[in-house]
Amino acid sequence: MSRARRAYKPGERLRVWSIRLVLWVVIVMALLPLVYVVTASFSPTQTFFSPSVIPQHPTLDNYRAVFQSGFMRWVWNSTEVAVVVSAAQLVMTSTAAYAFSRLRFIGRKYGLMTLLLLQMFPNSMAIAAIYAVLARLGILDRLWVYALLLIGGSAFNIWLMKGYFDTIPRELDESAYVDGAGHFQIFWRIVLPLARPMLAVVFFLTIIGMYSEYILAGTVLQSPDNYTLGLGMFTLISGQFAQNWGIFAAGSLMAAVPLSVAFAILNPMMARGLTAGATKG
Amino acid sequence: MRASQSTRSRVQWSAYVYISPALLTMCVLSFLPMAFTIYISFTNWNQMHFLHYQFVGLQNYITLFSPSTASLVAFVPTLVWTVVFAFVSTTVNYLVGLFLAVLVNDKALPEARLYRTLLIIPWAVPGLISILCWQGLLNENYGQINALLHLFGIGPVPWLDNPFWARVSVILVNLWLSFPYFMTVCLGALQSISTEQYDAAVIDGTTAWQRFIYITFPNVWRVSIPMLIPAYSAAFNNFNIIYLLTGGGPNRVETQFAGYTDILASAAYKLALQFNRYDLSAAISVILFFIVGIMSLINMRFTNAFKAVD
Repeated sequence: MSRARRAYKPGERLRVWSIRLVLWVVIVMALLPLVYVVTASFSPTQTFFSPSVIPQHPTLDNYRAVFQSGFMRWVWNSTEVAVVVSAAQLVMTSTAAYAFSRLRFIGRKYGLMTLLLLQMFPNSMAIAAIYAVLARLGILDRLWVYALLLIGGSAFNIWLMKGYFDTIPRELDESAYVDGAGHFQIFWRIVLPLARPMLAVVFFLTIIGMYSEYILAGTVLQSPDNYTLGLGMFTLISGQFAQNWGIFAAGSLMAAVPLSVAFAILNPMMARGLTAGATKG
Repeated sequence: MRASQSTRSRVQWSAYVYISPALLTMCVLSFLPMAFTIYISFTNWNQMHFLHYQFVGLQNYITLFSPSTASLVAFVPTLVWTVVFAFVSTTVNYLVGLFLAVLVNDKALPEARLYRTLLIIPWAVPGLISILCWQGLLNENYGQINALLHLFGIGPVPWLDNPFWARVSVILVNLWLSFPYFMTVCLGALQSISTEQYDAAVIDGTTAWQRFIYITFPNVWRVSIPMLIPAYSAAFNNFNIIYLLTGGGPNRVETQFAGYTDILASAAYKLALQFNRYDLSAAISVILFFIVGIMSLINMRFTNAFKAVD
């Protein structure tokens, strides 16, 4: 930053301004669609949409209508499933990552790599088997079945968490070990508290990720009362587009703004974790 | 490394307790359905044979590939489009992400932080919601994208209703969703390159382009590879972008099972849920397993990524 304040070299001014121009164009193209969604949410329904970003007859009708659809119910369903699944995953991720980071066992060297490879086949790829079995057992359309399907451990999260655990100095473990602490105490009293930022990141990013899950939700859940946010919004927009676009836009904003803010706070920490894990090894 | 030979060879059995919850859930929820999918693909389990299904050998695979029945599910064109989509889309996303990362990493740009923040925004919006929003924005008659193009004198583009444009839309919307991720990864990689390398290269009289090719790109490539391999594989399975944007449509004339933008993952979903053809759906999934598996192996061979997760 401080280097930037010095006088530009001859060719540099031209370069900087061309970079700026390109970036401005990209930013406008990237953000205009979002602005349009905001516009639509304040525009009366049943009108043809104009390219203007300012709504011509601003109204809050769409926001009122959102509450009359099943929106709140869908948000609640999604939140419930997301919190339960993420909490369960956090426990499994941190214990497994601890083992891969600190303990010696057969399969340590290639175990994580094998799991990462196998998880390139997520269970959503086995959709026929899952649907057929659930239909046969007669347990479709239940939220707990949906949550159960998502609860499997994530090798990617383990890898991410292991990368973070590896940065915690081993000297701490060793001195605790000398003081008579066992593995579990080292894990519980030393590694976990120091990894708190990463635990929070993995937990909340898993929650956010759950809101975008569609394929298993679409497979398991059938009645509107059990819809997740995604399923509900999908039926809203793929029903009658012209009538629902404004309501849909309003609902999207109400759902997306809190999630996006949470994401914006967590993302830089995540990015650091990603590169920390990637440059190791 | 400092451990003596005797401690190194000692196995800490308690490690298996720590990994067992993750391992067990993965086995039951991921690997078991996979194994069962492979089994179903050799049976005739569908709506007609829901309670009493039989082993039919390779019949489902023959149905998918043989010219006389192939049009039943438009399998071969769907397969080709899946491969094209995965490669084109991921490569475009990565290159655009790298390009933007290089731009916002320019030291002479004092406000680069602001640009970075603005460019991350599409990533922050939950993907499912933004894809559905795009479905609205790209609507041929009511969508605001066509309203905007109209200002520039461009007639209505059938974004989602024409086979060619629907495919373009899928790739463009996926780019909008994904470039911030790749930009962030590349940016992290760029910032991990030591400035000494550049300083030395400047003293040696290299051009900016040479520095990019010989210093920047290899370094970024090395760090971003562990991200890129799963990205290619994930693209083969990118169900959301297809199903939520176009629903696989526009429909083909010859079959209702798979539309022009359907990839194997969305075709398998429709076959199982809408048409109760678990047998064909499972066979498609198995072919998808193979493609993703082979691709990952090839990728790892070439890049040596994950070689020593130690």
